[in-house]
Amino acid sequence: MSATVMRAPAAQPLDRHRLLVLGLVWVILLLCPFWIPFIGGYTSLGTRILVLGLAAMSLNFLIGFTGIVSFGHAAYFGLGVYGCGLILRYVTASTPLGLVAGMLLGGLAGTIIGALITKRRGIYFAMVTIAFQQIFYFIAYKWNGLTGGFDGLRGFTRANINLGFANLDIIKNDYVFYYFVLFVFAIVAGVMGLILRSPFGRTLLAIRENERRARFLGINVERHIWLAFTISAIFIAIAGGLYALLNNFADPSSLYTDLSGELVIMCVLGGIRVFWGPLLGAAVYVVLQDWISSHTVNWMFFVGLIFVIVVMFFPRGLLGILRRRSEA
Amino acid sequence: MVQRKSGGFGRRRVLQGAAAIGASQLAAPFIVSALGETPIKIGFVDPLTGSLSIQAVSEVQGAKLATAEINKKGGVMGRELQLLVEDSANDVGTGVEKIRKLIDKDHVNITMGDVNSGIAYAISQVATQKGILHIVPGGHTDPITGTACAWNVFRVCNTTMMDAGAVTGLLIKKYGKKWFMISPDYAYGHSLKQSFQHYLTAAGGTFENVYMPISASDYSATLIKAKAYKPDVLINNMGGLAQIDLAKQFVQFGMNKDMGMGATLYELEAILAVPPAAQSGFASMEWWWDQPGVPYVKEFVAAIYNAYKKPASARHWFGYVAIHSAKLAVEKAKSLEGIKLAHAMEGMELPPEVALQKKKVYYRAGDHELMPTIFAGEVHPPAKDSPYDVFTTEKWVDANKVLPLADTGCHMKFPA
Repeated sequence: MSATVMRAPAAQPLDRHRLLVLGLVWVILLLCPFWIPFIGGYTSLGTRILVLGLAAMSLNFLIGFTGIVSFGHAAYFGLGVYGCGLILRYVTASTPLGLVAGMLLGGLAGTIIGALITKRRGIYFAMVTIAFQQIFYFIAYKWNGLTGGFDGLRGFTRANINLGFANLDIIKNDYVFYYFVLFVFAIVAGVMGLILRSPFGRTLLAIRENERRARFLGINVERHIWLAFTISAIFIAIAGGLYALLNNFADPSSLYTDLSGELVIMCVLGGIRVFWGPLLGAAVYVVLQDWISSHTVNWMFFVGLIFVIVVMFFPRGLLGILRRRSEA
Repeated sequence: MVQRKSGGFGRRRVLQGAAAIGASQLAAPFIVSALGETPIKIGFVDPLTGSLSIQAVSEVQGAKLATAEINKKGGVMGRELQLLVEDSANDVGTGVEKIRKLIDKDHVNITMGDVNSGIAYAISQVATQKGILHIVPGGHTDPITGTACAWNVFRVCNTTMMDAGAVTGLLIKKYGKKWFMISPDYAYGHSLKQSFQHYLTAAGGTFENVYMPISASDYSATLIKAKAYKPDVLINNMGGLAQIDLAKQFVQFGMNKDMGMGATLYELEAILAVPPAAQSGFASMEWWWDQPGVPYVKEFVAAIYNAYKKPASARHWFGYVAIHSAKLAVEKAKSLEGIKLAHAMEGMELPPEVALQKKKVYYRAGDHELMPTIFAGEVHPPAKDSPYDVFTTEKWVDANKVLPLADTGCHMKFPA
């Protein structure tokens, strides 16, 4: 495993196969509103997949590419939700400003907390991330006057976007809102991909593969993990902001442990070592949850069963097994 | 080179089987849609899982009974009535996602829900944005038909002000004016605490209140605090399974020897789920199954029992009334347009076979709140003749008198 790191210090150029996969992913995403009804979905479900997919990809930046497991990433997602919602509710009806506020709130919290916990490893790191998440959850739950408490923050809606030459109707037109979310998703995914292909990204892979060896090579491991945690928090906070725009409300469940667990499940379902794996995991999870829960109140049992099957039969995740086959 | 195993129950066989089952399930919706003509669709969101599931299940059962009855009699204006039920899982985000699904994917004409006041509040907001008639069968928080009232939102159950107003006098008379309240920390609990505070302080009483999480199950620390306060009565404002847990622990701590127990709502489902010692105190009921001489009540109670082997509760009645109200509104408006349905429901009186009460029951035009009679009385262990006879009405209260329109804070505005 460590040989892989030594062999590939720089990013490989995009080969034909990778370009084909990339093209396929974007064709699927661009045409989503047109094909999703055929699998029993609807446009806002597609938007939900994109948002949760982005959140899972952001978490995977830490789990899959840095080798650090956080079970409390819903904290930064939720802060993104509340940052966006609070701006729209109390300051100004501006969608871009809401997204920026969400990103800053989640990113700032990630930066501070990341700096405090980077020396912890394994189960201790995971426990501390959960503890900080619970702190944010109870702040949102108890600060009734500002956040609306358990009932959530209501009374705001996403605002249309004026481009000067055109007005994007993201309030009423679900298609336009989907493509707006896809646009933001593309920017974040693009930046994430570039970071992972940069020397910094390759260093994160080196830390994941063999932290001790990376340290002996003179890499400041703690600083790299802190930066990775911060970047991951910023990305997931953007996803949180989009979630606030999607639902037009913010509630404490977006900061809760359940969501952190669901995001980890999405990563594992799709494949944690694959860039697009968490997006596929999110798609499978969201569609299954939506479909099964319409048929039985025991939907959680079936979702859990599917997760167990995937872990037992596809330990590399759905996309991981496909990649393994194509490489074989 | 892959070597194929002969026979056996290998991984590949398991996966093939799972894929076949999955594919057959995916095919089902297409077959179902091919059967459809043009039914009128009602989307019902309720917490069928979670701490309020006990009430939600009864509401949905009442709604299903009403739907079956209506379809048996030819539907609504000759069209079949279709009830689509979704589980909000007692979570606001899931509830909103479900209502969007019902509206955007299933194209429902009318929406209903939720037992959880916070979810009811949030999903009614989505229905308002989409211009769809929304009926709240059992979410009690006051702003829904009060300060946050909306042109398209109607409610079947009472507000907390109505329920608290109906029972406060009785609680003071039976126990005294020093109260300790335990309330859930969300919209319903906050409204309830404020309502009791309003009536109790007006009567010169004193109180202490503790908020607990909506799904709390351990009340030991709070009950110790309550015991130290030495109140005349402990007010159990929790809901669903949380209320049941609190009532059980109240008895286990032996506190029923020192003080009484009261509640705005101590619903039939909750009373039947606690031991006889906890079947005590005074509370209000929003509908009660034993109303001798009131037409159609016996038939409704029998229909619920025959269908579900359960006694009819207020929650069954909420779901039943919500569906029938939608039917009556469609027939009156001769349209499925939200705004026309809302106008049709304003002031609409329920016929006796739906009202199932002695006095007139109608939707008040100014705030879209159903105006029934509230039953205030004593909770007790089952009487000898019926295991469900656990409540005796002492007072019948006119909802309109307890909460006049001027006190709701609602300023109803219809879109231009």
